[in-house]
Amino acid sequence: MIVAAGAALVIGVSSVSGTAAIGDVLSHLGIGHTSLNDVQDAIVWDLRAPRVAMALVVGAMLAVAGGSYQGVFRNPLADPYLLGIAAGAGLGATIAITRIGNPASSGIPTFTPWLAFGGAMAAVALTWSIGGRGGRNTAATLVLAGVAVSSLLTSVQTYLQQSSSSSSIESVYLWLLGSLSGASWAQVWLIIPYVVMCTLVCIASGRALDVLSVGDMESRALGLPVSRVRFLVIVASSFGTAAVVSVVGLVGFVGLIVPHVVRLTVGTSYRRILPLCVTFGATFLVLADSVARSALSGAEIPLGVVTALIGAPVFVIILNISRRPTT
Amino acid sequence: MSAIDIHSVGVTIDGAVLLSDVTLSLEVGRWYTVIGPNGAGKTTLVETVAGVRSPSTGSVLIEGHDVHALKERDRARLVALVPQHPVIPAGMDVWDYVILGRTPHHGLLRGGSASDDALVDDVLARVGLTRLAHRDVTTLSGGERQRAVWARALVQSTRVVVLDEPTTGMDVRHQTEMLELLRREVDECGLTVLATLHDLTLAGQFADDLILLEGGRVRETGLARDVVRSPALSAAYGTELRVVDVDGADVVVPVVTRVSERVVTSSA
Repeated sequence: MIVAAGAALVIGVSSVSGTAAIGDVLSHLGIGHTSLNDVQDAIVWDLRAPRVAMALVVGAMLAVAGGSYQGVFRNPLADPYLLGIAAGAGLGATIAITRIGNPASSGIPTFTPWLAFGGAMAAVALTWSIGGRGGRNTAATLVLAGVAVSSLLTSVQTYLQQSSSSSSIESVYLWLLGSLSGASWAQVWLIIPYVVMCTLVCIASGRALDVLSVGDMESRALGLPVSRVRFLVIVASSFGTAAVVSVVGLVGFVGLIVPHVVRLTVGTSYRRILPLCVTFGATFLVLADSVARSALSGAEIPLGVVTALIGAPVFVIILNISRRPTT
Repeated sequence: MSAIDIHSVGVTIDGAVLLSDVTLSLEVGRWYTVIGPNGAGKTTLVETVAGVRSPSTGSVLIEGHDVHALKERDRARLVALVPQHPVIPAGMDVWDYVILGRTPHHGLLRGGSASDDALVDDVLARVGLTRLAHRDVTTLSGGERQRAVWARALVQSTRVVVLDEPTTGMDVRHQTEMLELLRREVDECGLTVLATLHDLTLAGQFADDLILLEGGRVRETGLARDVVRSPALSAAYGTELRVVDVDGADVVVPVVTRVSERVVTSSA
């Protein structure tokens, strides 16, 4: 993770050596002095460093949330967007861009993250109110409710888009595909408290998720307050995911494949999987973002496209490995 | 004090009466087996006693505590459940699976202690799974897997254990081994066991007492050797059953007339 972050500080049009870039970052943390001039310092500290920090934070959160969702739903295909977060955030962002912002301009309004966050949390609340109240198959009904809510919100979003100007539609797509290009220290500091809190709650729930792997009835017989654990993990995962998605847009595949990669490494216990998701998820997104901004000269590939391009083949490889018979 | 007191328990789901007015008092350190035809309410009864199913009427007391009024953790310290079809998590090794039984004894944030680890090792030795402790639990045979589930229940360290068809899917040798393991825990550790079994011979040979259910009601209770000889048994199963003495052991057999003989008899 540290190597990937260090490399990401160096990658870019402006040539800065690795030791100089790391020295510059350390100097801002009160350790030593920078050897860079003011322009280079601004490039490293104000542009690249917050972007790397944002990638670390977002990657860690999405991976931990994905692992937690897979545990709480006992479903290896679960990802952080299962309960409608993506559709809710997408609708919130679409409203911000096409209805409240200036429809004639092609930019993304500054208040977009707040509406995206509100949309994401509203979607999860709606899903929970439909599928999470009591009942015997709460996990299954929640998933089905999530599918229904996602479909509903996506259809509303599609309607808003088709009745908007082409420039605002372009902005919506830009947001939906995810990007770290506008990352700033202010944004990083804004989401860090949420991410730290939610990540700690998820990691602390690892033991409960291990118990939950034997099903609701047996978990209750083993003394686990199943409904409370499920509610707590879903709230923490969803809140953290909504926080990061609202700032960087929809970045797919991280929450799906990173927990699987970690599982191949350390086995099936969530006590081991979730802490490692922090480092694996952070590293993966830093590397993906490095590819996004350096693969094409003069243009940036949307981050969501890169994570999907890397994630899909990796997922197929994992699938093949897990299909192999054990000897 | 009784280990388990069941007071007028009834369970109704969507208008269907699964259990009706079941009242039983089960003594400490004895093995009770619930028998009865399919649909008699055996699984409903053991799940209700284990606290994972709520009764529509009545109450279940374990060691004087109403199991349905307790928090999950407190209840799991009183009674352990071995379900008929346990969920076996893929990729988890036997040791990690068995230590799940310690869940009610420590907080979810705190890991197990050295004494928990020692208990798991001890129980694995008792059920003969030490050499398989680090095998993926899904790769075990049916008999070994059931012993792992039994080990998880023992690690829970409760004085009452409820088992729903613990020998499902096992061959005769593994069935006998499993029930001998159970018998040993009852005799040596004073465990109170409430189990369901379909095999009436095994039920009569291993349990101290039998509870005969039919249509959600208790038809007969008593010492195993008395219940297997009761006319109520044949009536409940709707077929004639006889007890044959084989070297001092009661063997319950259905009286079956061969189809060919029935044809000959009816033609004559």
